[in-house]
Amino acid sequence: MHIESFRRSCVALLSVSLISLGMQTPAAAGIVGTADAIAVAQQQTDLAVVRDALARADVREQMVTMGVDPAEVDGRLAALTPAELSKLAGDIQQAPAGGDGALAVVGIVFVVLLILELTGVIDIFKKT
Amino acid sequence: MIRTALPAAALLLGLAGCAASPPLASGLPAGMSRSLELRDTPFFPQEEFQCGPAALATVLGASGVLVEPGALAPQVYLPRRHGSLQAELIGATRRHGRLAYVLPGTGDALLAELADGRPVLLLQNLGVKQIPIWHYAVLVGYDTDRNIAVLRSGRRARKEVRWQHFARSWDRAGRWAMTTIAPGVIPRQAEPARYLDAVAGIEAAGDRKAAATSYDAAIARWPGEGLAWLGRGNVAYAEGDRAGAADAYARSVTLVPGMGAARSSLAQVLADAGCIDEARRQLELAAAHAAGTAMSATVEETRKQLDAAAPTGPGQCSLPGRRWPD
Repeated sequence: MHIESFRRSCVALLSVSLISLGMQTPAAAGIVGTADAIAVAQQQTDLAVVRDALARADVREQMVTMGVDPAEVDGRLAALTPAELSKLAGDIQQAPAGGDGALAVVGIVFVVLLILELTGVIDIFKKT
Repeated sequence: MIRTALPAAALLLGLAGCAASPPLASGLPAGMSRSLELRDTPFFPQEEFQCGPAALATVLGASGVLVEPGALAPQVYLPRRHGSLQAELIGATRRHGRLAYVLPGTGDALLAELADGRPVLLLQNLGVKQIPIWHYAVLVGYDTDRNIAVLRSGRRARKEVRWQHFARSWDRAGRWAMTTIAPGVIPRQAEPARYLDAVAGIEAAGDRKAAATSYDAAIARWPGEGLAWLGRGNVAYAEGDRAGAADAYARSVTLVPGMGAARSSLAQVLADAGCIDEARRQLELAAAHAAGTAMSATVEETRKQLDAAAPTGPGQCSLPGRRWPD
């Protein structure tokens, strides 16, 4: 975690230096995208935080690890706002992923019964 | 012993659903019909774990975009999670030229969208709070007299669920729901902030045509929304229309003098157009308004940019004879 935050700080610092050096398309530096303006207003955070320089690379890496075809990843990321990307970078492992209900329900009923069995509330699994 | 198991299991399963969910009839908003079903909504039976693509194809189809779940899966499915994330359903919606309008988490909002003719994609938790089972389904109707919700869900083209049961599963999933909207259409009960959020999303995804159409519709409906004008300006700027962008930013600033984003953007387009003096003046105003807010660093950054990049001196302004807001 420390290495991760160190890495983030380094890249953030580097991006700021690059911007100050005018290496990032200076023509549009003052233009604030509508989605960014909304995120800044809602979260009361700085634009640099909203446009987390590392989020895109982070999410990209995690998605490939999660089995997404690398050829598809960039198209998927391009459809998200910077704020959505930085949120995803933090919670892609835990955020709700809607999948198949029916199969899992069978599993959870079994787990519940098992817990009840183990805690002695029921004894349907014993022969005696 | 099984007799004690049933109430115990019911208690366990019901824990997360303690929030009171009244029957449909008791909370039906005035003017809403007692039953409604969007029967023309298409249906795509889901493949294993693929309720995300199937549900998304259903609502996209209803909004006029015909796409198979199989074509959506590579855009939303996360194999290791055996499911799809909300953010990616939103992203994929944008890729197909539709706005993803995320609804307020109220039953009234769901019913209002149905009444407006749009089926609602929503997230359910079919498990318990501690052990969630996430599932996407599409609400296509309700019947007050029978107290049911009608869903397209999984492999079921038409699934009837007792309203409270449905409402609790939605409540356990954080009451997340969205509809897909064609550019230019604004839901009858839409909140400006939510609608503009949806438009800003499709703008960020690069669909300028859809964004322009939607901002124009927003401006026609809510002419006093500074954010709609900022968005319109951003689309104009991206298309190289400096005059259009400057005018839209100016409207935004006039409506909301303290909107640092609009001031900063106005200063930028003025600088691009060679109106350096006015650009500097706008930046000073932006800095004054942004002092102590989250925008101050951004404005400072723009000022540094302008100082470094822009030549000084009058005479080259390509947007002369206009009066810019104070």
